[in-house]
Amino acid sequence: MKNTLIKELKELFRDGRIRLAGGIVILLLGMAVWISSSQYHKIKQQNKISEAHERENWEDQGEKNPHSAAHYGTYAFKPQYPLGFLDKGIEKYAGTSVFMEAHKRNEAQFSPVIDQTGLARFGELSPDFILLFIIPLLIILMGYNSFTKERELGTVSLLKSQGVKSNNILFGKWLSLFLPIIAITLLLFLIAGILLSGLEGFGWGSLFLLLLVYWIYYAVFINITLLTSRLSKSSSIALVVMLSVWIVSCLVVPKATGNIADSKYPYPTRQQFTTSVLVDKEKGLDGHNPWSKEAKKLEQQTLAKYKVDSLAQLPFNYDAFRMQKGEEHEAKVYQKHYQKLRDQFAGQASTYRSLSILSPFLPARFLSMGISRTDYHSHWDFEDATENYRIITQKFLNDNFAKNSSYGDWGYKVDSSFWKDLPKFNYEHPSLNKVLEQQLFSLVILMGWLLISFLLLLTVKNKI
Amino acid sequence: MITTKKITKKYGDFTALDQLSLNVKPGEIYCLLGANGAGKSTTINLVLGFINPTSGEALINGKSVFKNNIETKKDIAYIPENLMLYPTLTAMENLDYFSGIGGQKLKKDQLESLLIQSGLQPEAFYKRTNAFSKGMRQKVGIAIAIAKQAKALLLDEPTSGLDPKASNEFGELLQELKGNGVATLMATHDLFRAKEIATHIGIMKSGKLKQQFTASDISLPQLEKAYLDTMNYKELAK
Ligand SMILES: Nc1ncnc2c1ncn2[C@@H]1O[C@H](COP(=O)(O)OP(=O)(O)OP(=O)(O)O)[C@@H](O)[C@H]1O
Ligand SMILES: [Mg+2]
Repeated sequence: MKNTLIKELKELFRDGRIRLAGGIVILLLGMAVWISSSQYHKIKQQNKISEAHERENWEDQGEKNPHSAAHYGTYAFKPQYPLGFLDKGIEKYAGTSVFMEAHKRNEAQFSPVIDQTGLARFGELSPDFILLFIIPLLIILMGYNSFTKERELGTVSLLKSQGVKSNNILFGKWLSLFLPIIAITLLLFLIAGILLSGLEGFGWGSLFLLLLVYWIYYAVFINITLLTSRLSKSSSIALVVMLSVWIVSCLVVPKATGNIADSKYPYPTRQQFTTSVLVDKEKGLDGHNPWSKEAKKLEQQTLAKYKVDSLAQLPFNYDAFRMQKGEEHEAKVYQKHYQKLRDQFAGQASTYRSLSILSPFLPARFLSMGISRTDYHSHWDFEDATENYRIITQKFLNDNFAKNSSYGDWGYKVDSSFWKDLPKFNYEHPSLNKVLEQQLFSLVILMGWLLISFLLLLTVKNKI
Repeated sequence: MITTKKITKKYGDFTALDQLSLNVKPGEIYCLLGANGAGKSTTINLVLGFINPTSGEALINGKSVFKNNIETKKDIAYIPENLMLYPTLTAMENLDYFSGIGGQKLKKDQLESLLIQSGLQPEAFYKRTNAFSKGMRQKVGIAIAIAKQAKALLLDEPTSGLDPKASNEFGELLQELKGNGVATLMATHDLFRAKEIATHIGIMKSGKLKQQFTASDISLPQLEKAYLDTMNYKELAK
């Protein structure tokens, strides 16, 4: 095995085509890491400045009516997860900041950018593009003639006469493809780890898990490549077959799966979504409209509850109280409609999951985004956090307004130190355990690919 | 050591080898003669286990080649008719690899001395074999075969492409191995060399072993006549 490994490595490194291709991949990878890391730091810097700026604006509001502040609003920024620099996932398309204001949950990007898998991502040079698309191509280039060349060179008869077990040769060849890929990716991930290790939220565990996922993905490609080389009559046939496998599993299946998922579980358009939210909002209480049916009902209930005759007799500012009740109703409406979006997403995700038995690319893609915290789960986790924070903020403002002023007292102002009491928005990315829970199925499918392709490779006998 | 028992190989209706039986004992060199297509390579390939017989069996050291494919190969060294090497590896690296997978761990000076024994010119030892001539490749093949220190040697026209001097040296090498108790089965077209080095000679035609001689019992002209007679018989039959 070791003999074959060394011999294959020598052959690979002496092959000008492989050297060129390998050099290009390493160069691209280096460039991608460099571009991506400088972008990452730029965005991080910007976020930090904007965040500080926003908080400063918030704290420096001076003497002001709390509800004016609610309308004035503030931004929540999504902190970048360190690994996002290796796999940006949907972050390219989905927003990383949310405007939070009274009465309104600002829409996140739910436009159908779910199609993260097809040609759309082809144009950009990012580490995940190279890891997911280009390295499998390199594997194919390195391995397609691994067995066919022995026949074509004519070395096969001498090889067979040496009485070596075919599995020894197989494992030697297998390792000669795997080890260079391991070396390149390990180097990349170590560099990434060192670049990222100082950053908040960085964990070596996630980094190595991500690396492991890619290694499994590459092992699957190596298995399929060697299997094809074993079964093919000639190198050129093997190459054509493997390129077709690559096109189907990395481009066609993901694109087709995206289309199927979209047509089976379509997202509403932005307009449909806004309209249906508006309709439901109008069915309930509007905090600013004291004359509506719902508002009158609340008035009766409140008066009855506190056993008083007029709103002015209440121990708190009824205007602010009503405002908070309206806020709670609106939050519920948003909750309901966002849940619908999520149900569609769940449908799409299950379509992706069941079709990922067609291509090892899909589970690898989802695991990569999941572990990098740049998938839909993470994005929504962030959005939920901002919505929670928005609700807390509104309650913080309305409660103060209700408690410290009386009915009709719209001139009430809090003093300038009040704003600091609002806790800062502090978002933490989902834990690795949570990610694994969400991605368990992808992990199982990917392992399934590994196991089955490996068993096939071992059972299919050729003459060597 | 090398035995075939009524071995037959058919390709469809065509019988390439017909109930061929022969036995090569340790210390013997058996030369198979015969026209192109007579079935010499087929015999050797069957003994190597590269192809399966239609009936009969081949044995190495008493063990069936088909049942103990890997095991029997430990005892065999083989030089094919047209020996091919890895063109991007040097002669040394090729030798190192093939002897390595054959179970031999050899040091640099051991490898070098094997190549010297094979007659390859020293300036070619560390050159990639892509520009090697057929004879040079054949010499590396000889080194690979010696390295294995096998008890049975299967040679399919090993000297084709060798210059007379190298061919002569190869003959001497075979004599030396014979002295060490190696059994050799060699297919060849070279009657002269066959007579010179063989202990036994068989003449094949159309998959059959037509005549067998003990080399010492027959002179070169007699061998030549026997060979031509066997061949002409075919012409007459036509
Ligand atoms: N795979 C095959 N399919 C069909 N016929 C075959 C096959 N291999 C060999 N033959 C036939 O078997 C016969 C014997 O071939 P073989 O190679 O043993 O001849 P040979 O004696 O080695 O000839 P040469 O001196 O040219 O090397 C030939 O007629 C050949 O055409
Ligand atoms: Mg032949």
